Amino acid sequence: MSTVREVLEFYGDRPNEVLDLAWTHVELSLIALVIASAIFIPLGILFARWQGGGSTAVGVVASLRVIPSLALIFLFYPLLGFGFQPALFALTILAGPPLILNTFAGMRSVDASILEAARGVGMNPAQVFFKVHLPLALPVIIAGMRSASVEIVASATLASFIGVRTLGQYIVTGISLLDTTYLLAGGLLIVALVLSAEIILGGIERLVKAPVA
Amino acid sequence: MMNRRTVLKGALATPIAATAIGAAMNRAVLAQDEPIVVGSKDFTEQFILGNMYLLVLQDMGLETEEALNLGGTQIAHQALVSGDIALYPEYTGTALVEVLGLSVEDVMAQAQSATPVAEGTPATASATPVGGTGSAADYVYNIVKDAYQEQFNLTWLAHSQFNNTQALAVKRAWSEENGITTISQLAEIAGDLTISAPADFPEREDGLLGLQRVYDNGFADIEVLPVQPGLKYQALLDDEAEVVLAFGTDGQIAGNDLVVLEDDLGLWPPYNVAPVVQSDLIDANPDIATRFNEVTTSLTGEIMSGLNWRVDGDEKAEPADVAEQYLTENGFIGG
Repeated sequence: MSTVREVLEFYGDRPNEVLDLAWTHVELSLIALVIASAIFIPLGILFARWQGGGSTAVGVVASLRVIPSLALIFLFYPLLGFGFQPALFALTILAGPPLILNTFAGMRSVDASILEAARGVGMNPAQVFFKVHLPLALPVIIAGMRSASVEIVASATLASFIGVRTLGQYIVTGISLLDTTYLLAGGLLIVALVLSAEIILGGIERLVKAPVA
Repeated sequence: MMNRRTVLKGALATPIAATAIGAAMNRAVLAQDEPIVVGSKDFTEQFILGNMYLLVLQDMGLETEEALNLGGTQIAHQALVSGDIALYPEYTGTALVEVLGLSVEDVMAQAQSATPVAEGTPATASATPVGGTGSAADYVYNIVKDAYQEQFNLTWLAHSQFNNTQALAVKRAWSEENGITTISQLAEIAGDLTISAPADFPEREDGLLGLQRVYDNGFADIEVLPVQPGLKYQALLDDEAEVVLAFGTDGQIAGNDLVVLEDDLGLWPPYNVAPVVQSDLIDANPDIATRFNEVTTSLTGEIMSGLNWRVDGDEKAEPADVAEQYLTENGFIGG
């Protein structure tokens, strides 16, 4: 069993490679989160406003979560081939369900009487949406981004199966050589990235919780 | 290719193997009424060989249990040492480097000095990508056979004629266009190329690290496209990479008309395959050795590539069916 010291020595022996792999991992994850947020948060809002079929649509999206990330990565491979863009596409899709579900829940959880009161003081629909409804739902939406970021960072490991050199390289090597130093070296950095994303998005979540309306 | 049960067993094998190390007594073998557990690593050729062993044992009237697809060398080896499996197919070069931790250069240097030049030097033997028999193959085989018996009480049965060496392969048109047939020639332009290989390739002594060392850093700047092992050749065919890390008996080499580059500086040792078996099992059933040896020695590079291609090529046959058909047609079972 390797110790933390051995892992630190591992990083010390090859700082450039570690940074390269970690940076690709971050870059891939960050772009996927931004694109996914830009697509799926508005989609969640649409579902929330769609009185007839919104719940059903969200139920369908929720059921898609059972597809394992590994399967998703290989599912698009025949269409998109190898490299950064196919990996980005798969990770973006993967982030869809948590973003849609949380946005939907956040929007639907705002008390109807608050929206009624906003209209009562003379706000037009756009003002009600941007000044009252969205700000009140925002903490739950950002919580969705937190769980999406965890899934993305963890699954970016699998990009090493379709042509992107991420920290998955250390995980794959650790498995094939049964070498715990490699497994820990990759695993600890991935955990650190997940925690960083949690802390940053958690901070934003607290900021937006300050009463706006 | 793999059912849920074997995958589950593979996942369970690691912790079981880890806890059982030290308990050297072999549960599967000592008790006669318990089935003989046959293991394998996680790629096509191993599935086919594992199925052949199962079928031969069954043909002898012995009870068997299947534990194929155990992952990499280390997992399969630990399962064997701990007695969770009774046997699995292993390659001489892999055992030499990955299990015994010996240096290829040291061993091959000894082989060279110990062998009369007339019989073929190790360099020429390892330069033959498929079908490398010769003295280097036997030399490495004898080293691992003795060491396994001494260290692990495991028996290496007879080895195959074919040498499933690691190799670099390129498209035939590309090879002709660039006039490249050896790894030394490739090393000169490697900095501008991309190689399709599993993600652990850059980290391995028998992978990129070895290429950089033996071929004088020509490979320092090659770009690695990490892929799932089953997709290696697809990346080459899709022109995402110019070079692929191949195994000598991969059916895709002939199937896609690829050229295997000559390992002219001898990075890789011979990789002849043999069943590695609990010595107690062989002592109790010497017939197993006789029956297995017939099968193993019948396998040439051409035959093995052909069998692999039936699984990996358009036919997409099941490894078990391919194994059974080969054994039946050649009279190894059902006689």
